[in-house]
Amino acid sequence: MNKPTDQTDLSLMKFGIGQPVSRNEDPILVRGEGRYTDDVNFDGQLYAVFVRSPYAHGVINGVDVAPALEMPGVVAAYTGADLVAAGYDTLKCVMPQKQRDGSAMIMPARPALAVDKVRFVGDPVAFVVAETAAQARDAAEAVALDIDPLPAVTTPEEADQPGAAAVYDEAPDNCALDYHFGETEKVDAAFAAAAHVTRLEIANNRVVVNPLEPRSAVARFEGGRYVLNVPTQGVFGFRNSLAGVLKADTKQVHVITGNVGGSFGMKASVFPEYIGLLHAAKALGKPVKWTDQRSESFVSDHHGRDQNVTAELALDAKGKFLAVRISGHSNMGAYLSPVAPLMSTLNIHKNGIGTYTTPLIQVDTRCMFTNTVPISAYRGAGRPEGNYFMERLIDEAAREMGIDPVSLRKRNQIKPSQMPYKTPTDTVYDSGDFTALLERAVEAADWKGFAQRKRESRKKGLLRGRGIGCYLEVTAPPMNEMGGIRFDADGGVTIITGTLDYGQGHWTPFAQVLTTKLGVPFDKIRLIQGDSDKLIAGGGTGGSKSIMASGAAISEAAEKVIEKGKVIASYALEAGVEDIEFAAGRFIIAGTDRGIGVMELAAKLREGGLRLPEDAPKSLDVDHVHRLSPSAYPNGCHIAEVEIDPDTGVTKVVSYVMVNDFGTVVNPLLVEGQLHGGVMQGIGQALMEFTEYDSDGQLVTGSFMDYAMPRADDTPAFSFESRPTPAKTNPLGAKGCGEAGCAGALPSVMNAINDALAEVGVKHMNMPATPRRVWEAIQAAKASAAA
Amino acid sequence: MTHSNDPRGASRRDFFKISASAAAVAPVVASTALHAQPEQKPDPFAPVEVDLVVNGQRRRMALDARTTLLDALRRHAGLTGAKKGCDHGQCGACTVHVGGKRTLSCLTLAVMVREPVTTIEGLAATDGALHPMQQAFIDHDAFQCGYCTPGQIMSAVACVKEGHAGSADEIREYMSGNLCRCAAYPHIVTAIQQAKTQMEG
Repeated sequence: MNKPTDQTDLSLMKFGIGQPVSRNEDPILVRGEGRYTDDVNFDGQLYAVFVRSPYAHGVINGVDVAPALEMPGVVAAYTGADLVAAGYDTLKCVMPQKQRDGSAMIMPARPALAVDKVRFVGDPVAFVVAETAAQARDAAEAVALDIDPLPAVTTPEEADQPGAAAVYDEAPDNCALDYHFGETEKVDAAFAAAAHVTRLEIANNRVVVNPLEPRSAVARFEGGRYVLNVPTQGVFGFRNSLAGVLKADTKQVHVITGNVGGSFGMKASVFPEYIGLLHAAKALGKPVKWTDQRSESFVSDHHGRDQNVTAELALDAKGKFLAVRISGHSNMGAYLSPVAPLMSTLNIHKNGIGTYTTPLIQVDTRCMFTNTVPISAYRGAGRPEGNYFMERLIDEAAREMGIDPVSLRKRNQIKPSQMPYKTPTDTVYDSGDFTALLERAVEAADWKGFAQRKRESRKKGLLRGRGIGCYLEVTAPPMNEMGGIRFDADGGVTIITGTLDYGQGHWTPFAQVLTTKLGVPFDKIRLIQGDSDKLIAGGGTGGSKSIMASGAAISEAAEKVIEKGKVIASYALEAGVEDIEFAAGRFIIAGTDRGIGVMELAAKLREGGLRLPEDAPKSLDVDHVHRLSPSAYPNGCHIAEVEIDPDTGVTKVVSYVMVNDFGTVVNPLLVEGQLHGGVMQGIGQALMEFTEYDSDGQLVTGSFMDYAMPRADDTPAFSFESRPTPAKTNPLGAKGCGEAGCAGALPSVMNAINDALAEVGVKHMNMPATPRRVWEAIQAAKASAAA
Repeated sequence: MTHSNDPRGASRRDFFKISASAAAVAPVVASTALHAQPEQKPDPFAPVEVDLVVNGQRRRMALDARTTLLDALRRHAGLTGAKKGCDHGQCGACTVHVGGKRTLSCLTLAVMVREPVTTIEGLAATDGALHPMQQAFIDHDAFQCGYCTPGQIMSAVACVKEGHAGSADEIREYMSGNLCRCAAYPHIVTAIQQAKTQMEG
């Protein structure tokens, strides 16, 4: 009944939820005016360079920094012993899982700098602080390390062999966690009764995260507080973790994050360097800056993935899935990252169920210590892998049983009429029409025209394959998240929230939510996300949850603004509060055309133009915390087609179709960008990203010349569609899209490759399908056919 | 090793003389030592005067001779737009124009540079209006984290000027030296196609 003003109408059409709005930060970034951590400098700052272990495994007899201290410009040098003497806590794994028998997993302490042993090439043992970065680099080379090398283990399978070198005394068999989920007897019975069992040995190759911005930090100690400028994925939790290690009160720690040049899970962790830098800043009374060099990043940033499994699917004669079993090893690396076992344990069974009615799932993972870079979350963190294992099994089962892969999926997919659907892994799907998405993707990919395209490829001497990836991800549940709203002195409105974008562009969609809910002008809205002093809560970004978490927090905060505003407006309009209604940015006396806009009301409050009684709110500002809400279930169907040159093994993704359900899409422009990114990272893992250690534990793929990253000319033609069913688990109805691209790409691309290679007798091609490995697989298949 | 605090530093001309003579005699260091006067032995740490024209402005700096153009821009000229992604010439984030040609500033010693340098900060018009390529990157959502973006845009402008933006495939090929981990590649290609029309129109 209260019609919005024309202006608000127009604003919502341009900037409301659902509009493809360009990002507010774009004009800043295209001018090169972003403020990434290495762009931040302080007067009198010193520079740190870390000394890292050249050995994968060894006993530290001594670290002599005296020669470094003699070098020009050097101010100080520190070793592990210095940090131990300062009494800091160790770096912690915060998501431990229980052992098979219910006991605690083995969590060895990690000091910021290695003290007794080095455990991987790159393990920091000391650092030098000098007046210039070049002086610090020169001096770091003068630090003398006395280390007795020990035999190293690099793969989890090797680490699980009897007699393998033990990375820790407290884990003589190198096993941090022997994880088990599922009802073994029922699963065994299902496999025993199955008409068909498909079994694959699947590798989930280790990837180097490689955000283009190397990690960097500037540490200060000011007014009795530790202050750190650093790229993170959320300053609130990061500050709390940092305070824990420093054994400081959280009030004594201030974390500031500006622009972040990509993270993909990696920069969420408190890394050892930060503790050293803060220690030095406090000791020296000067700011201390450190920026990783790329060759160091390869061995100092956490890596992702690295799991090898035997995946098995039991089917009845009609192709109904009876049970899935995934067992194997995962690599923890040399130390436990904050989320170390999550990806290869819990997130495998949570996400392995996918869109199917499979009644039983079992996951057994031996999480092993090795002498390699620690493993942590990488885009999807187990979600792409869980989907990948299942979707590969389905395609293989379809081939073995002679069933069409589309039809086999449809027979087993959960139907909308079954919602809410309780899975055997304690998740409850609220919404989704999986088969409709599959059917639409099949149509969009011109599934029927494939035979013709395959013939055309053959004429060119190329193998062609197609593959489906029906995925469903279980997002991280939104945690306590701040929704702060401030009406600023200059007439702007500031959102304060504790998720943090490292490229996603949160400012714009969050402003779209606020402008929709509260009718404040889009162009007046700012975002504070990277200053821990401004936050009262913050779950950070990770697990594709930001739009659900901050979106809910902002929506609820806007409700609170409206409640306060009704009271204040009742005085401004001289009416009873029960008669005030709010619509499209205005407080109106019901049944009249008298009202006041929210911005006008804020201005009146600011200018003191309102006489308010004692008990009335004095401002529209709100500090709200959204409490825990359930996970969301983004899903979709991706179909890839590849061409493979059998003479060279070169594989190209030639077409890629996506049909996705992300629930309510706040900004379709940004969602499409997220999907391109996720898919390309998936294509990177599937086709080229190969992290290789030699038997001594040296990383031999330690630069962009040795480690292949997806480039512009690896990009296929994309087709992108949204088929949303709004989520019922959060106020916006959003489902989260940040990691979905990887979850769709790994199975669709690898299923396509295996479809193409089946023609020449290759049974199962693992990732990464590099030209050499594909060529070798073709040669081996030919040889065995000839034998 | 001694450290010179000579405030005058050495001129670039001196640096080249030193480099050239050092290169000529490199294989016979011992015999050079016999002939060289001890007091003339060059101090490799002595600051070298670097004289650059960046975005139309003359910038004179006394730098360690090892300083790359990228570090000279970022640390000494206060122009942090060009980014250090790898420092090995393998990612393209540091791309600037030297004499109008795309150049990896991390692989270029500042003392080598004689032609005018244009960085991302100097691409917009003097009135602040964005270059068509900058605007096209915004219009097409051609980036996410923005870290590789200055290099992508500088490379993209050169790609068009070089005549290497004739087709999407050609753009992909000639932009393949600029890594984007966020993989905004599809939108980068469409942005370049849009900007090409305007740049050539």
